[in-house]
Amino acid sequence: MQLSFAPVQGTSRKYKILVAVLFALALTGVIAYIIAYLNGFKLWGINNSVTWGQLITVDFFFIGLSAGSLVVSSLVYVLGQERYKPIGRIAVFMGLLLMMGAMFTVVTDLGRIEKCWRLFMFFYLNNMKCLFAINGIFYAGYLLLLFTYLVAALSGSKLTKFIAPVAVLWAVLVHMGTGAIVGFIETRGIMYSPMKPVEFISAAFASGLALVMFLSYITLKFSKRPIDKNMYVSLGRMLSVLIIILMVLVLVDKLTHFYPPKRESVMFLISGPWAWIFWLQVVLGYFIPLGILFNPWLRKKVGWVIAACLICVVGILFERAAIVLPGLSQPLQYYPGEIAGIWGARGGFPIMIAETLQTVGIVALVGLLYVVGLRYLELLPASNGEHAQGEPAEHAATAAEGGHT
Amino acid sequence: MANWGMIIDLGKCVGCQACSLACKAENNVPHGSLYEQKRHQDIYWHKVIAATEGEYPAVNTQIIPMPCMHCEHPPCVNVCPAKATVKRGDGIVMQNFRRCIGCRYCMVACPYGARNFNFKTQEDKEYQRPDLPPDLDLGYGSHIGPWPYPHRTRGVVEKCTYCFHRIDQALENGWEIGSKMDGEDGVLPACVEACPTEARYFGDLDDPESMVSKLLASGTCIKLREEMATDPKTRYLPR
Repeated sequence: MQLSFAPVQGTSRKYKILVAVLFALALTGVIAYIIAYLNGFKLWGINNSVTWGQLITVDFFFIGLSAGSLVVSSLVYVLGQERYKPIGRIAVFMGLLLMMGAMFTVVTDLGRIEKCWRLFMFFYLNNMKCLFAINGIFYAGYLLLLFTYLVAALSGSKLTKFIAPVAVLWAVLVHMGTGAIVGFIETRGIMYSPMKPVEFISAAFASGLALVMFLSYITLKFSKRPIDKNMYVSLGRMLSVLIIILMVLVLVDKLTHFYPPKRESVMFLISGPWAWIFWLQVVLGYFIPLGILFNPWLRKKVGWVIAACLICVVGILFERAAIVLPGLSQPLQYYPGEIAGIWGARGGFPIMIAETLQTVGIVALVGLLYVVGLRYLELLPASNGEHAQGEPAEHAATAAEGGHT
Repeated sequence: MANWGMIIDLGKCVGCQACSLACKAENNVPHGSLYEQKRHQDIYWHKVIAATEGEYPAVNTQIIPMPCMHCEHPPCVNVCPAKATVKRGDGIVMQNFRRCIGCRYCMVACPYGARNFNFKTQEDKEYQRPDLPPDLDLGYGSHIGPWPYPHRTRGVVEKCTYCFHRIDQALENGWEIGSKMDGEDGVLPACVEACPTEARYFGDLDDPESMVSKLLASGTCIKLREEMATDPKTRYLPR
């Protein structure tokens, strides 16, 4: 199949407003971070019980989305499925941006950001028994691989064939490593599980695919590029399978912990004060998308499929939150019995302005890079009609530079 | 090398919190405001919990003082990416503020809630001892005398040190360390020294003649959260 790619023109009023809004939000996030850094993290919702908050939740979420996006790209560049080619490049690009977003969150979450270089002093100044340090290797390698992968994909290089499988396997490693960060911690009953790395990668596949579908559809629609509806319908079927796998993994994980006698943690998760997060995960992440994707009428309507994708992505954000917030909030049982006062109380997590603005700012920054990337990189499949009207010279240049892949 | 440990006799503890206060004073731990208490953002190196079982009138409340457990297998050391949490040769688990990057993974991993994050730059009025000189040297091997942290670093994790500065100072000067059977105690951590009911004992767990070893040999000591397999060196004589 001959398919050419072209950047968006970026001259429309809507595009400029979008860039301005995202820039303003990102700038607000930067300012919020500077204020929080100068005043200390007392401005955030975190405390000595719930030590990780919004940023780590978004970090896990972004890493998952990035790994998932890469897997979507593998359909094109590893498995050679030509029909998914229109979203191949965009999937790689999103993988890179989301990983960068994840790194912004994790680095700004450090109490002393100026010492973050210590994380990368592998085998020398850092402790390689720590999952953070091991993941440092994964993350650094992943960013390099993604960058090379994107350059290769954009230039239509044959190297893509070699980089793509390595990048996808590395993405799996990255996200399983991230799952291990929480899964290996026995102290926290909700987090501790040998299933966590597998569950994480499964959630990554589902959420990553859903986000690529949603965002690419919206982008193609707004940039008036050709949309292959059948492609989205078939991706929708794939998404439903991925969600079922994820649901089974989560179910088995929770059932294992639900089985007596040690079931306090799972009871805290499903019926405690944070239960709404878990149930939103289940309803938004699994039930509603599956309801749409298994409905014989709705699953063939691309609008509904895309809506299912968005709901699934939001649901999986709650899945990440359901690990971090209840996981840390559950009181530690130092001694049998009911522990009085603050030491036995569950950890609170207020939504604080500085932390929220920073989280929104990082999401906006990733969005901004995405929108600007569309303007300068050949990510979207070109529309012949559009080129005939508006971008003939650009289209010719694209073709000359190897835009035809 | 010694292997320092602490034994707390729960039968003698009256829950007066003198240990918590002594710890705050000795290590210059900030007071913390009411707001910070409410938000659970204040710093405690030592806490006293009250665990209640049963219902009135058949009720039992157990008061348990909790410094850091200085585990033999500390989860915090395993998870620290920056080698900022280390177990010294004498078993004391230390936090190096120069190395700590403030990721708070150790707080997630600690089964005893012994760790606290410093959420702000502490003002002088927050301290018990604002008269102390500023901290200039936190390097290994050399520290600046008995009060090691007059002004603390924001954005890092802190914890109990078994008053390592007292122990090191005693070792340098050849003073006796630990609780003694005859009541003529050597140098002790501040919490042990301050206990009005003498419910706490400190000493070398590897020395068969030390008081803590003899108490351990009585066979009645318990460890908190034994299922975590951390093998804490702060142990308890049940009531």
